[in-house]
Amino acid sequence: MTFSMKRMYAIFQKDVRDLSKNMYITTTMLMPLALAIFYSTMDEVTMDMHYLIINLCFAAVGVFVQSAIIAEEKEKNTLRGLMLSPATLPEILGGKSLVTLVLTMATVLICALLMGYEPANYMIVGGAILISCFFYIALGTLVGLLTKSVVEASVLALPVMFIFSFGSLFLTLIEEYPILSFIEYLPSVQLVELAIEVETGAVFADLWSNFAIILAWIVLASLLTAVVYKKKEMDA
Amino acid sequence: MENIIEVTSLAKIFGNQTALEDVHFSVKKGETFGFLGPSGSGKTTTIKILTGQLSHTSGKASVFGKPAATLNKPQDRKRFGVITDNSGLYQRLSIEDNLKLYCNLYDVPSIRISEVLEMVSLSKERKKNVAKLSKGMIQRVTLARALLHEPELLFLDEPTSALDPANSKHIHEGLRELNRKGTTIFLTTHDMGEAESLCDRVAFLNKGRIQLLDEPKTLRRQFAENTVLLELQDGSNITLPGGQEGAKEVYERMASGQVVSIHSNEPTLGDIFVEVTGRELV
Ligand SMILES: Nc1ncnc2c1ncn2[C@@H]1O[C@H](COP(=O)(O)OP(=O)(O)O)[C@@H](O)[C@H]1O
Ligand SMILES: [Mg+2]
Repeated sequence: MTFSMKRMYAIFQKDVRDLSKNMYITTTMLMPLALAIFYSTMDEVTMDMHYLIINLCFAAVGVFVQSAIIAEEKEKNTLRGLMLSPATLPEILGGKSLVTLVLTMATVLICALLMGYEPANYMIVGGAILISCFFYIALGTLVGLLTKSVVEASVLALPVMFIFSFGSLFLTLIEEYPILSFIEYLPSVQLVELAIEVETGAVFADLWSNFAIILAWIVLASLLTAVVYKKKEMDA
Repeated sequence: MENIIEVTSLAKIFGNQTALEDVHFSVKKGETFGFLGPSGSGKTTTIKILTGQLSHTSGKASVFGKPAATLNKPQDRKRFGVITDNSGLYQRLSIEDNLKLYCNLYDVPSIRISEVLEMVSLSKERKKNVAKLSKGMIQRVTLARALLHEPELLFLDEPTSALDPANSKHIHEGLRELNRKGTTIFLTTHDMGEAESLCDRVAFLNKGRIQLLDEPKTLRRQFAENTVLLELQDGSNITLPGGQEGAKEVYERMASGQVVSIHSNEPTLGDIFVEVTGRELV
């Protein structure tokens, strides 16, 4: 398959211009920021609170915004034009994901600054947040491709966001309901676990399993996305 | 001459509904070929199959000598342009920004934007947001977008259905010019005037089948009644047969100054359509 940076960048540029005029998206981004400001006024911000906000950024921006911008391309019949142009699947989805990646990482960064989060190892935590972001964007892409309109996407995104971002809130229920033990393997849970261990002095060698699990989620979500796109390329 | 599109025994079935059945036709290089049919006859379905947006049930559909479904490489995509009812524009962006995206995707310098906007008479609206445009203007922007990369082959699904006569005429001139420069055009329409004024050949599509296929003038001649219509000074009309007898009467009436006008009874494509299919072209 061919990949052209120029075409991916063209789509990225178009989306930046488009998003700057899209109130629906900009207000969604304000949600985690508002909560971060609220938390920052507290005496002590715990690791769980930091990651509640970071996960909210992933959910509200990574999943929600990505699914909305893809569903909108379908709703307004603009995706078909891109598909019929020389742009290929990686270029189209890459361009859109890049916009969401920038937005998500910017929101995470601003929230972390507001709340004074200072990880013991910036490289490891930053890397883990970045690859987690890839997963949520792939998830948002999938939600967007499976739905036909922005409204439908936001409805489907809600439970998906809830499970993947806030699943960790139910960790304590695992003992009582063993069926919920999959929660431990959720990327959000892996990320918090990793971040806590970093604070106790863990280095990359101690954390490879967390990274591996998050990467496995990325691979799974990307494969599903490619399959769904190929299916929709015709007959959608 | 080389065939750009070749379709044999093409069929498309949606669930239990047959949209196309045993369709055969080919489009030669440089030709303007029209699919004429009422709504629901399978025009859009044909374009979607030919542009790889829809799979077909059986038969063969090839474009540029390759199966239509395999034309998905960037270099193939640059060879054709499409407008269908699902060609959307970005509402929040200006006409210019919409076209700029496509210039970048097709690797076309952005000076082309002025040229195509000129062609659809939207140069002054260049900076306007698409959300503020009328339906007809949107149709013209979509056409402009399909022309940006000067494709060898253009698929147009009812290109002027939302346009007033003046704008349609302007677009028709543009399309003829494009065709003169070598672009092959496959268009669908339910407007017989459009088919008549643009197409080298037309196919009548009815309920998913091609019922007639030929050059418009051949069809008109084939279906013409051999009669002439005379409009007389007293306001009445009379129809006279061709040949000796009719010619004599025409002469006499003309000589005695009764005749206001003479018309040959050539049917329009619309008349022929009704005669062949028993249906109106709506
Ligand atoms: N996606 C689809 N699913 C089911 N039926 C369809 C679909 N698309 C078109 N049809 C049917 O196929 C027939 C031909 O439709 P279409 O090609 O859109 O006609 P036209 O463009 O000539 O108006 C119609 O009866 C229509 O209802
Ligand atoms: Mg149609």
